[in-house]
Amino acid sequence: MQGMNTAQAWLNVILASAVAWLATSILTIPSSQAADAELLSAIGKQIEQHQVVRADFTQTKQMASLKRPLLTHGKLVYSSRHGVLWQIERPYRVSYLLGETKIIEISADGSRKERGVRDIPGLAQVGRVFRAMLGANTQALKDHFDATVTGTPQQWNIVLQPKQAQVQQFLQQLKLNGNQFVEQIEIAETSGDLTQIKFSNSTASAPSALEQQLLDSL
Amino acid sequence: MRFKLDALHLRALLWLILALTAVLACASQMTGRFPLQTNLLALLPTTERNPVAEQAVNKLAEAAGNRVVFLLGNEDAPAAFAAARAFAAQLRSTGNFRHVLADIPPLDPKQISAFFQPYRYNLLSDADRVQLANELFKQQHSLPDRLQTKLYAPFRFGLTMSAAADPFGLTDDWLASLPLKNLQLEPHNGMLVSRSNGKTWVFVSADLPDSAYNGDVQHQVATAVDMAEHVLKTHHPDTILLRAGTVFYADAARASAEQEVHRISVVSLVGMLLLLYLVFRSIRPLVLGLLSVGFGITAAIAVTLALYGEIHLITLVFGASLIGEAIDYAIQYFAAHLGAGADWEPMKGLRRIGAGLTVALITSLMGYGALALAPFPALSQIALFALVGLTSAWLSVFLLLPALLRTPNRRNPETAVALPRKILLKWQHRISAKASLLATGLLLVLAIPGWSQLKANDDVHLLIARSTDLVSQEEAIRRIIGFDNSSQFFLVEGQDTEQLLQNEEALHEKLNQLIQQETLTGYQGMASFVPSRQRQADNRSLWSNTVFADEKQLSSMLEEAGLRDEVAIEQITAFKASADNRLELASWLEQPLSTPFRHLWLGKTDQGYAAIVLPQGIKHLEHLRQATAGLPHVTFVDKAGSVSTLFEHYRQWSSLWLLGAIGLIFLVLSMRYHWQQSLIILMPTVLAMVLTLSLFGYLHIALTLFNMMGLMLVLGVGVNYAIFLREGGIHAAATLAGVLLSAGTTLLSFGMLAFSSMPALSSFGLTLLIGIAVSAFLAPMLLSFDRQLDQKA
Repeated sequence: MQGMNTAQAWLNVILASAVAWLATSILTIPSSQAADAELLSAIGKQIEQHQVVRADFTQTKQMASLKRPLLTHGKLVYSSRHGVLWQIERPYRVSYLLGETKIIEISADGSRKERGVRDIPGLAQVGRVFRAMLGANTQALKDHFDATVTGTPQQWNIVLQPKQAQVQQFLQQLKLNGNQFVEQIEIAETSGDLTQIKFSNSTASAPSALEQQLLDSL
Repeated sequence: MRFKLDALHLRALLWLILALTAVLACASQMTGRFPLQTNLLALLPTTERNPVAEQAVNKLAEAAGNRVVFLLGNEDAPAAFAAARAFAAQLRSTGNFRHVLADIPPLDPKQISAFFQPYRYNLLSDADRVQLANELFKQQHSLPDRLQTKLYAPFRFGLTMSAAADPFGLTDDWLASLPLKNLQLEPHNGMLVSRSNGKTWVFVSADLPDSAYNGDVQHQVATAVDMAEHVLKTHHPDTILLRAGTVFYADAARASAEQEVHRISVVSLVGMLLLLYLVFRSIRPLVLGLLSVGFGITAAIAVTLALYGEIHLITLVFGASLIGEAIDYAIQYFAAHLGAGADWEPMKGLRRIGAGLTVALITSLMGYGALALAPFPALSQIALFALVGLTSAWLSVFLLLPALLRTPNRRNPETAVALPRKILLKWQHRISAKASLLATGLLLVLAIPGWSQLKANDDVHLLIARSTDLVSQEEAIRRIIGFDNSSQFFLVEGQDTEQLLQNEEALHEKLNQLIQQETLTGYQGMASFVPSRQRQADNRSLWSNTVFADEKQLSSMLEEAGLRDEVAIEQITAFKASADNRLELASWLEQPLSTPFRHLWLGKTDQGYAAIVLPQGIKHLEHLRQATAGLPHVTFVDKAGSVSTLFEHYRQWSSLWLLGAIGLIFLVLSMRYHWQQSLIILMPTVLAMVLTLSLFGYLHIALTLFNMMGLMLVLGVGVNYAIFLREGGIHAAATLAGVLLSAGTTLLSFGMLAFSSMPALSSFGLTLLIGIAVSAFLAPMLLSFDRQLDQKA
C-alpha cells in the first residue's frame, strides 16, 4: 500500500516543483568572481559581528503605472538568529516578520496573516535573499548571484546580477552599498520598476522587549 | 497376466498423454520470460462498494508506478550537483529509460498568470471571497487597504501581477491559493534541491519505458541503476544515493521470491529424495516420486497460467512448498509396496490404499477449497494451484505408478520396517485409550492459558512485505523533500463536470475548516484550479458589486493612490470585455502546467464523472473520515484501511469456518468409517489445531487471518496421517513408515515456507509446521483406540 501512496506523489513532484521554481521571480544564481571573494568575505564578516542591527529606513518605489514615486518610512530590526522585523510607519502602519520558515504580516489593528514559506512558490528564496541582503550575508548571496565588488571594507559597493534568462526576465540587478552596516539597497526590475531602500541611524543595539517578542514568534 | 499388463500400460499411456499436455500447455504459455506477476497490489481484494473507487485506486497506483526518483546528497553543494548530473547522464546513456530529468527545463514564469489572466474577474481565493461577501453585507470597504498593501509591501513574491493589472491584489491572492507547491524542493543551479542535515540533496527522476511490473523493464532499470551507482561510487564516493519507485519494490520482490522458490524447492527435493532413499533403499521410488511431483507442479502451473494468464510470485513460492505434500500419495504406494514384500501385485496394492488416498485427497482439497472462498485474489490462486497440483499427484499414483512398480520388493518387509514396528508396538502396548484420553485432557488444560494470551494483527502489510532497505530510503526521500501524502483520498463524483466541481467545492470548504482544526495540512483538487461555473458567476458578481460597483469611486481611489489615470480605465474596460469569458476544465487540462495534477481527474465513468482530491498531512484520520462522511457524492477511500478491516472481519469469522470445516470433514470420514472411528481419526488433528493456537499465544505471535487459513490446511492435510494409519491394516508398520516419511517431507517444505520473507506465507508455513508436526506426532493415538474398537467389534 505504501508503494502506492508514494505513488501518487511522484507524479506531482517533478512538474509541481518545476512550477515552483518558475515562481522564484527574484534570484537564483551561483558563483562569484575569485578576485572579489576576499573583499566580499571581509564585508560579510564585518556585518556578521552584529547579532542584531536596528535602523530606520526610507523606501522609494518607482513604477511605470505610478504618477509619482511611492515613499515609505519605517523601522527595521535585523536579527541574524531570528530574522527580520520590517515595520512600516508611514504612510500607514503595517509590520512584516520574515523568518526561515514563515512570513507574518501584522496589520495596524494587530491582526496577523501568516504564510508558511512552503505554501507559496518561491517565497523561501525571496525571503532568504532579502534577509541575506539586509545582513550582507555574502555567502548566501554568492549562492544566488554573480557579484562584483568595489571599494574597501570601510566603504563598499556590491552589484549582483542574475545570469539565468528566466530570472533576468524579471530582475535587472541588485545593488548594495554600505560601510560597517548596509546603507542602501537598490532593486532594478526589467519592467523599469526601481526600488531604493536607504537605511539611517543604524546601531547594533538589542531589540526592545516588544520587538523581541515579535521576533520570537518566528 | 498379459491382459493386466496391457491395462497398466494403458493407464501409464494416459498419464503420459496428460503429462505431455501439461508440459506443452506450460511451454506454449511461456514464450520468453516467465509470466510472473510482481504487482503486490494485485494481491489486494476488492474492498470498495463503489466500483469507481477501485478504478481510482488503480489509476493512482498506475500513475505513480511508471516513475522512479533519486536524491543525491553531499555536504558540498557543487559536488552534489556534479554527481547528480553525472548520475543522470549515466542513466540516460543506458537508453533504458523513456526520459531522465535532472536539469529542470526552462519554463516561462509568466505562463501561469498568463493562463488565468482572461478569467481573472471570475476568480477569487476562498479567503477573499468570504471577506468580500462579508464586507458587501456590512457595507464595509477593504479595497483602499488592499491597494496600499499591494503598493507598499517591501517585496513581492513569485506569481504576482503588476499594480496596474491587479491593483487590489485579488488576482495575486488567487494565484497564491493554487496548490502548486507542497514540497521542500527548490530550484537551484538549474536543478531541484533540498537542504537537510547539512547536506545538499539534488533531485533526479526517470520515467520507465513501460509498466513497472513488466519483468524486462524491472531488469533494465535494475541494471541501469546498478551501473550508474557503481560509476557514482567510483567518481563521487562521498555522495549518498537514495531511490524510490514501485519498480524497485517489484524487482526486489521478484528477486527474493525467485530466491525463495529456489531455496524451498532445492531443500524440499533434496530432503525428500534423501528420506525416500533412507526408507526404501532404492532409486526407483526416487524417480517415480519425482515424476509424480513433477507432473503435479507442471499441471498446476499450466492450469493457473491458463486461467490467470500469469502466476503471482506468492503462488510460486507457495507452489514450491507443495512438493513436500504432493509426494505423500506416492509415498503411501511405496509403503504399501514395501509392506507387501513378495506378495506385491500393483493393482491389488492400489486397491488396498486407493480409498484412503482418495479420502485424504478430498480432505486436503476441502482445506484448500476453503482458501478459495475468502475474497483474496492471492489465496484463490494459491488454492487453485494446490487443488490442481495435489489432484495431479494423486492421479499419478493411480495411472503411472502401478505400471512402473510391478516387481515385488526384494527386501524383507520385516527388517525394512523394524524401527516403525517397534514404535508401533510400544505405542499400542504402553499407551491405552484411557492414557490417550488423559493425555488429551492434559494437553487441553495446558493449552488454555496460551489461548487467553492470543493477540490479533490485521495489518495490510501482512500481504505486502517490502524490502526494509527500500522502505527506509523512501522514507528518507519523503522526509527530505517534505512529501507527506498518504494513501487515502477522496473520490468526488457528479452527473456532469459542473455538478462534480460543485460537489468538490463543498468538500474543499469542509477541508478548509478541518485545516483550521489541524486535522490535515492541505489538499490537492481540480476545483482549486477551475471553479464551477456557479462559483465563477458568484465570484464575478462579487467583483462587480465591490471593485466595479462604482466606476467613479474606483477611478478616484486609484488616482489618489498615485496610479496613472489609464489604470482605472483599463480595469473597467477589461472587466466589461470579460463578461463572456469562462474558465473551462478542458482548457486547464490541455495546459502543460496541469500535467502534475492530471491524475486527479478521472473523467467519464460508468456512473457520471469522477475526480480525486488528495488530502495531505493527515493528523487525525478518524476525524477526517467522520467530518466528511455526510457530503453528497464524496467517498473517502482508504484502501489500506479497508483491507485491514476485511482481514479483521475474515479472521473473526474464520473460527466459525474452522468449526464448519471440521464438521464437513467428519461427514466425509463418516461415509467410509464408523462415526466413532471418524471422531478418533479427527481427534489428533483437532488437538493439533488447538495446541498450535495455544503455542502462538505462549510465543506472543499475533494471530493473523493467514494463521487461521493455515489451520484450515492443517485440518485438511493433518487428518491424512490418521487416515493412512487407519487404512494401514495388516501392513501397519510399513504404513507408519510411510506416514512418518510423508510428515517429514511435508514438514520440510512448510518449514522452509515459515522462513519466507512474505508475511502471509510465513504465517502459513509456521502454522502448518507446528500443526502438522503435532498431528503427525499424535496420529498413532488412534491405534490405541483401534484396539479397543476392534475388541468391541
